[in-house]
Amino acid sequence: MADITWMPGSLFDNIDKFANSLGYQNSGIAIQLAMMSWKSPEERDAFITSITGEDPKGGTEKNYIKQNF
Amino acid sequence: MGGQGSGGANGGPQYNPANVSGTGGAGQSGNYTGFGYGKNQEVNNQRIQGNQAMASAQSATPSAPTEPYQGINMPQLGTLTDPTTRPNEPITAGVDFGPGPGSEALPQGFMNNTRIDENAKIVAQYLPDLAHAAKSPDAPDSFKNFVNYLIQNSQSAARNG
Repeated sequence: MADITWMPGSLFDNIDKFANSLGYQNSGIAIQLAMMSWKSPEERDAFITSITGEDPKGGTEKNYIKQNF
Repeated sequence: MGGQGSGGANGGPQYNPANVSGTGGAGQSGNYTGFGYGKNQEVNNQRIQGNQAMASAQSATPSAPTEPYQGINMPQLGTLTDPTTRPNEPITAGVDFGPGPGSEALPQGFMNNTRIDENAKIVAQYLPDLAHAAKSPDAPDSFKNFVNYLIQNSQSAARNG
């Protein structure tokens, strides 16, 4: 399997954010929401905030590989 | 003398029964004949009354709408990210996270206990990929914690059968 690249908005980043924001007991919902086609990490995070009333939890940007676009 | 397809002798029944429609209208005259003396008129009057009753019933019965739910004022189905249509109620009312009442506020019998099974099924499906991703040196600790939780849960579920 290819190496995982951790970038904001990637599938595993989405799973990380949803699982840690919704709670591990909601892992099924978290994984399914993570698979949705989010336009941007900001839109995803806004959705998380709207349903939890809190900022998204999970890995922070310092974990990501910095890329110059 | 009438041949086939014409009336019988002395206006009696037709020789060819295929020319008489049981429902009337499609035959030569639409009127029933051949009953006993004085009965033809009675039977035909009953037929006319029956047809009128059927026509009345059909006109009173609304025809099936060409589109389902036509005439019902249904709100347009939005997307997941649309603003709420119930601004006075937290969007998470009825679920066990976020603001608002949890699942205890739902009517009894509204929920069945399948969510645990669904979670387990989804997790079992994706756990190998998640575990592989958690081994990545760039994986955040929060993700590793989540995957460890899933692994422990799946192992304890396997032990409990």
